[in-house]
Order: sequence, then C-alpha cells, then structure tokens
Amino acid sequence: MPFVSKTRSFLRNLLSTRSVEQDLDQEVRSHLQLLIDENIRAGMSLKQAERAARMELGGAEQVKEQVRQARFGNWLHSLISDCRFGLRQLHKNPGFTLTVILTLALSVGANTAIFSLVNALLIKSLPYTHPQRLGTIYTRKAGSTMVSEDRHNLDGERWELLRDNVPALLSAVSGGTSGVNLKADSRVQYVREGRVSAHYFDVLALQPVLGRNFSEDEDRPHGPKAAILSYSLWRNTFEADPGILGQPILLKGEPHIVVGVLSQGAVTPSNADVYTALQPSREGAGGGSNFDVITRLRDGATWQQADAELNRAWAAQVQHIEKHNPGVRVTYFSVPLQKGETESLRPQVLALMLSAGFILLIACANLAGLTLVRMLRRTSEVATRLALGASLWQIQRQFWIENLLLALVGGAVSIGLGFLALKELFLLLPEHFLPVASVPVDARVLAFALVVSVLTSVLFGMLPALVARKVDLRSSMANRAVAASVRVRQLLIAGEVALTVVLLAGSGLLIRSLIHLETLPPGFNPNGVMVAKASLDDVRYHDPATFRQLLHESIAAMRQIPGVQNAAVGLTLPFERAVNDGVTISDGKEAGTQDGADLFYVTPGYFETLQMPVLAGRVFTDADGTDTQKVAVVNRSFARKFYGGSNPVGRYINKDIVIVGEVADVSVVSGLEPVAPLMSEQAMYVPAAQVSAKFLSIVHVWVQPDWIVRTAGPVEGLTSQMQRALAAADPNLPASGFYSMKDLLARTLATQRIYVALLGAMAALALLLSAVGIFALVANTVAQRTREIGIRMALGSTIGQAMVQIGRSGAIASVFGIVFGLALSAGALRVMRSVIYGVGVYDATTVLLVLLTIAAITLLATAVPTLRIARIDPARTLREE
Amino acid sequence: MSPEPTTLLQGTLDLLILKSLATGELHGLGISRRIEQITGGTFNVKPGSLFPALHRMEEEGWTSSFWGDSENNRRAKYYRLTKAGRKQLESESKRWGRISWAIAQALEA
Repeated sequence: MPFVSKTRSFLRNLLSTRSVEQDLDQEVRSHLQLLIDENIRAGMSLKQAERAARMELGGAEQVKEQVRQARFGNWLHSLISDCRFGLRQLHKNPGFTLTVILTLALSVGANTAIFSLVNALLIKSLPYTHPQRLGTIYTRKAGSTMVSEDRHNLDGERWELLRDNVPALLSAVSGGTSGVNLKADSRVQYVREGRVSAHYFDVLALQPVLGRNFSEDEDRPHGPKAAILSYSLWRNTFEADPGILGQPILLKGEPHIVVGVLSQGAVTPSNADVYTALQPSREGAGGGSNFDVITRLRDGATWQQADAELNRAWAAQVQHIEKHNPGVRVTYFSVPLQKGETESLRPQVLALMLSAGFILLIACANLAGLTLVRMLRRTSEVATRLALGASLWQIQRQFWIENLLLALVGGAVSIGLGFLALKELFLLLPEHFLPVASVPVDARVLAFALVVSVLTSVLFGMLPALVARKVDLRSSMANRAVAASVRVRQLLIAGEVALTVVLLAGSGLLIRSLIHLETLPPGFNPNGVMVAKASLDDVRYHDPATFRQLLHESIAAMRQIPGVQNAAVGLTLPFERAVNDGVTISDGKEAGTQDGADLFYVTPGYFETLQMPVLAGRVFTDADGTDTQKVAVVNRSFARKFYGGSNPVGRYINKDIVIVGEVADVSVVSGLEPVAPLMSEQAMYVPAAQVSAKFLSIVHVWVQPDWIVRTAGPVEGLTSQMQRALAAADPNLPASGFYSMKDLLARTLATQRIYVALLGAMAALALLLSAVGIFALVANTVAQRTREIGIRMALGSTIGQAMVQIGRSGAIASVFGIVFGLALSAGALRVMRSVIYGVGVYDATTVLLVLLTIAAITLLATAVPTLRIARIDPARTLREE
Repeated sequence: MSPEPTTLLQGTLDLLILKSLATGELHGLGISRRIEQITGGTFNVKPGSLFPALHRMEEEGWTSSFWGDSENNRRAKYYRLTKAGRKQLESESKRWGRISWAIAQALEA
C-alpha cells in the first residue's frame, strides 16, 4: 500500500507540478487566514492579527520550500528545475556561454585528437587473437657506463637458430616491404610486396579467406614461388575471382602461384598488397641483419622460458659480440609486439599529450576566470535566493549544474572538433607513417573526451564555488571578493601565459630547426630536376648486361624529350637514404682501414645532371665499362675521413678499385651514424656499368633507382614523356612515382614538418586562449570600474592615462607570465635536444620572437577592451550612480 | 537541513499528528492546536515543521486530505487517518510506550 501511494505521489509531484503547487499555495494561504481569524477572535485589530499570523507562519515561501523538500522524488524535481533554470541563465548570457563552449571545444577537441593517437598507438590491443602472446625480440647491451635496449633485427643464421632451437615460440620473420611490378593480364601495376617467412600469418593468427598460408617448402631457398594476395588487391585487380588459387601471376618478372587470399580488413605489420615467401638463408639479405621478427608464445610456455631458450640458442653470437666489445654484457629478451611496433613514436606522442594537457590547463584558467566574474556579477541574485529560503547547498548545486551543462555541450562539440582535427592530421601524414591501420574514435576516446570535459568543468567550477561560499547577504563582502578576484584572475593569466611561452618556445625551436634543415646547402643544384622512380626488383635485371641495356636505352630516350638538357640514372639521390656498404682502404699509410660508407651507382651523366661540383680528378665517362679498370668517385667527407683531407685521386679501395675523382658533399639521410635527419657523410660513387650481378640481385629488393632529367624550364607533360621513354626501353616497367627534388626533400623532412604543424597548432591555440583570457580580464575591469574612471576623468585624468591605469592589470599578469614561462622553458625545453638541429635549446632568436609575439598579443588584448574607456561620458556615469 | 535529533523529533511529531487525528478530521491549524492542547502546551508545532510532516505522511499513505469548509466558513484542507494510519498509530504508540518506559527505568536506576 505505501508503495502504491508513494509511486502515485511521485508521479503526481513530477507530472502535475502546477496543480500540486497550487494546492500547496492555497493550503498555506488558508492556514494564514485561519491564524488571522483566530487572532481577531482573541481581540486583536486586523493589522495586529495579520502581523502576528505572519510571524507565526514564518514566511510562506520558506514553508512551501520545506514542504517541497519533504516531498518524495524531490531530488529529481529540483534537478530538472535547476537544469531548466541553468539553461535559461546560459541562454541569457550568450557571450559567456559561447566563449566557454568554444574554449572547452577547442581545448578538449585538441586533447581528444591527440588522445585518439595515444589510444591507437599505445593503448588499443593489436587486432590479432590473444595479442598479449605476441612479441618481438630486443637486445640489451649493458656496459660499464650505459645500457642500451633496441629492437633486434635478425640475420639468416640467428633466424635459423631461433626457428629450430626455441620451441617456446612460434616465430616468423619478414624482409620488409617494398614496391614491385605486378603484371596481371596485359596490365602492369606497381604494388607493395611484403616478403614474409612461412609461419608469418600463423604467428598473427590470420586465416586466409581463400586457400592457405605459405608452406615450409615454399619458404625454403629456391623453393617454389608462391604469393598470397591481400583482400583489396584480389578484389580490385583480380575482380574477386575465386578461381585465382593455383594461377600464376607475374611478380618481379617471375611467375608466382597464388596460394591464398587474406580476409577483408586483415592487416599485418608489413602492410603490403601482396605477400611472397621470404625464403631466408644465410646468403643475400640473410647475410646481414635485415629481418624483422615477430613471435607468438606457444600454449603452456612462459616468456621467461622463451627468453632462456633464446639466449641459449644464440649463445655463440653473444660470445662473439662480448669478445669484440669488452665489458659489455649482451642479453636478448622478448617484448610485447605492440611496444616494439610503436616504441619509436612513443616519446613524440607523449610529448604531444603533454602539450595538449597544457592547453587544457590554459583553458581551465580562462574558464575559471570567466566563471568567477560571472559568479560575482550574480551576487545579488544569490543574495535574493538566500533570502527566499534557498540553502547554500542549493545555490552551489545550481552553479555545479550550470558548469556541468556547459561541460556536456562543450564535450559534445569537442568530439566533433577532435574528429575533424584528426582527419586534417591524416592528410598531413605520409602514407604508412603510423604503424597502425587506422586511428579510430572509439568508445574509449569518447569516454576520454567526456571525462576530460567534466573534469575541466569541475576544475574551473571549483574556484568560483569556493568564492561563492564567502558571498554574504551584506554587500560589503561581495566588494572585497571582487578585489580578491582580480588578484586570482591575474594569477591565472600569469600561469596560462607561462605555459604559452613554453609551447611557443618549443614550436619556435622546431620551426627554426626545420628552416635550418630545409636551407642546408644541398651541394648540387636541385632546381629543374625531375625524378622518376621505378622498381628493378625483377629477375630479368639480375643480369648486368640486361640492366646496362635498360639504362642505356631509357636514358637515350629521355635525352630525346624536347627541353631536356641531360638525363641519368642513379641509386640513390641526395635527400634520400643511401645504401650503406663497407669500404677498405688498400694502399698508403691508411691501408687496412675498414669502415662504412654510402654507396651510389650512377651513370656517367649523373654528376652533370645534378650539377655537383667536381673538386678533383674526373667523373665517369662511357669508357668506364665492364672490362676496364674499376673506378670510383668519392666525396669530400670521404677524403677527409680516410685521407685526412688530402687529394684521394689515384688511391685504391677495396683492393682493385682506383679513385678517379672527388666531388662535393650532398645532404643525404644517414644510415651510418645519424645525428640529424639530413647530413653529409662519406660516400663513394661507382659506375652503374661496373656493378656486379650479386649486388644487383640484392640491392633492388630494398631500393629503387632514380631516373633524373634536367630541364631549363617547365616542360609540358614531362612526366608522361619520361614514362614513355621508360616504356620504350621496357614496356613492363611502370614508374612508381615522379618527384621534384623539392618533393624528395619534403618527404625526408615529413616527420619534422608534422612536429612543427602539431606543436605549432598547439602553440597557436595556447596563444589564442591566453589572448582571450587577458581580453576578458581587462574588459571586465573596464566594466567594473566605469564609475571610478568617470570620476578620474572628471577630476582631469586623460583618456590615455585611464587606459593605461586599467590595461595595467592585464599587462602585469602577462609580464609575470613571461618571466615565469621563460624560467619554465629553460628547464622543460632541454628534453627537445634530440629533435632540434642547427639551433641550441637556449636560442636568443627564438626567445626574442616569443617575447615579441606575447608582447604584441598582450598589447592587442589589453588595448582593444580599454578603447571603451574613450566612450565613457564622465557626467553620465556620475549621474547614474 | 535538520540536525541530528531528527529521528526522535520526527517520530514524535508523526505520532502526535497521528494521535491528534485519531478522534476525527482536522485542518493544519486544528492539528497544531490539538497537539498544543493534548500535550498541555508543551509542544507548539510551527507551520514550517507541521506542513512538511503532513505532506510526507500523506505520501506514506497514513493520512488522506480533502478541501472542506472550516467552522467559520473558510476553505481549508482537512486531513484524516487512513487504515494504514490507524495501524501506524497503534504500532507507534506501542513502540513509544516501550521507549518511554525504558528511559524512565534508566533514569530511575
């Protein structure tokens, strides 16, 4: 029974609010009337009777409110009415509401976008069954001074030992992904080929939708050639033909039998269109550490067990390294595959998350300032409500509810904004830049955005709520609170300016180092050079004679293009990563010196086409052929490193190669000792005609040669004419892409460019938010002190003096912020040492630019609101009060 | 809102209201005056406590209300006990009897 009546009254209280309220109102009125009647009967005058009755009743509104609170379901009712009231309040102050929602949306949006990256790279499980059982192998080298831990690449020998002697792991290796030519029907297509060992897909637990994975037989050296297609290649190129199994496709000039098709959406760390069996051995690619390894812990085994077996299997290699590096202890250990795949991006992503956190703090400071002012403006409203019987808790709750409403709306907008930002970010990233297939906005990201918005609202709502506690019915208290609030807001602004300084200085350093890299003297003339890349990973071009003929015919055809001054082929170009090889000095006092050097093969026109200065001797001619003396040209760094800078011409390297010339250094992507993304290092050039068959069969698996032409001016349809010239020499050789030297530079510096764009965007956002904060503070001061300004002006102060007087609050806060920010930068920016080049952490130019930027923004943000002072009419202000 | 002694006071107030209605229907002021009368003037229930209690008790289903005319022809809201209210009065009276006996014992000891 009580339950039924409770439910009934709950619904009635909720639904027919009006009649319930009317009933209550009438009841209280009638009670008052009865009291008056009673008093009159006791002999009072009407006036006395009314007064006594009211005293006894103790305030009709308070009584009603007490009844409302005793009602069942009161909390829900008051929540709804608080929300309604809150929405009305927000609607009444569109400027405030919009500023808060935009600030929230921008700051939480930035955080949502960055968190999506963190989520995709560092949190989300890999898209394979039991991802926690997937791993890769790291080397730990512990010396007396330092410990290094790096992902370990395997050579053929280690791979065989791992495959055969570590039963706790199911392992597989891949030889990387590179572009190759696929001929299907009469069409030749350029696709990405991943070379993987037999159990690669078993380790990832990927089952093909058609056919099977590679067999161990197909993975043996010289075994049958087999291919597995990705789902999209099967659908797009082979029209989802189910009869494709068992059919040959022409890949790299050789027929491969299709044995399987991967399922839709299946991704691998190799991320290729077509997979072939790696057929690893201790020869060729297996002669060096060229294999990436992935492992899956077998059922019942433990990682400890696997690591123990691994170190036992590779004991001989460990001994070998330790013998050559005395005092160094070498161990191998398993690491979760996800960590291995994303480790290199981890610091950058975390740094981004940190700067996004800065943005959030800045936004919080702004919002706290805004809500604080709003709160103080509402002092009279609060006082009225307290007088009408509202409890302090009810008033606080009202503010929290308004904050929460703002947080929810801001959060919703921020998710949309974050999604857009993420899409923009993707346009910026080069293809296959991230080791994950996609960066989804999933439930975790949504939850993050929501939690951050609510947290922000709690943070920025806390301060005003604390101040509200001091609000008293007596207005003098409120005035004191206003004075205190200016101090608090100045402190907040100083804080946000300080964070902005750090972000600005950080992005300034990145911009300076990008400019440094882009304006490095290239060592050749990059203007007017067009590049075509094509894959020579083709069995036909393992033969030096066919290779020479291709180069000869294609270069001759390119020279025929009208407007082309010169043409050549080279592996590789400046701004690219060069092939590294060992070099031995064969004569003189340096005889026997061994080290690494970049190795280029080039046709005779290469130096002339790139306009590389020849410093000594000669460059190659057509006379340097197969049967003549083996020759090489080295660069300045080579001469400096191996010959102390003296003339290298006439010296012998690698036993029988004579150096015939010396050329200037060019900027390349270092593979030897990278200290910067672009640098010059020792290099040797050999004639393409003198390259051995063995070298040809290996090098083109990883690197594609470049056809280059130099033109005097822009040539209409140059790229299609270059493609035709290539086709004239080999109709089955599609160019994989055409580039200007500027494109190659941009590709090489893509990572730096992304850092600049991301951190730059953060810094700009921080600057915007700080400007808004300063603007709001000054504008508010103007509004609050209009009367005071009026009096000052009536007493003879000029408009300019008044403007300075008022604007000072913002400027002072900003100056404190700058000082604090510079101190903070001095400590914080040291972590950037590894990502900046050609510029120090304490860079005067950057600091100066940061100072100027903030000063300009501060000036703007304080000046604009003080302009209103000019419109103050002293006479009117004084009369108004 | 109300500090600690709520339970005792609330229980007491509820019992007094139930008791005042045991003899027949009354409006708010009537209840207040009856309580004053039956407690010998010890309790003077103010509207701020009386009305919330009345509404809460109605929601509990112990009382029901209707609008009627007062002795001098004023419209007033009248309350009367329901069946559940009578039961509640009975059990509350017993409980109260036990408590007051126990407290009296305790104080005499």
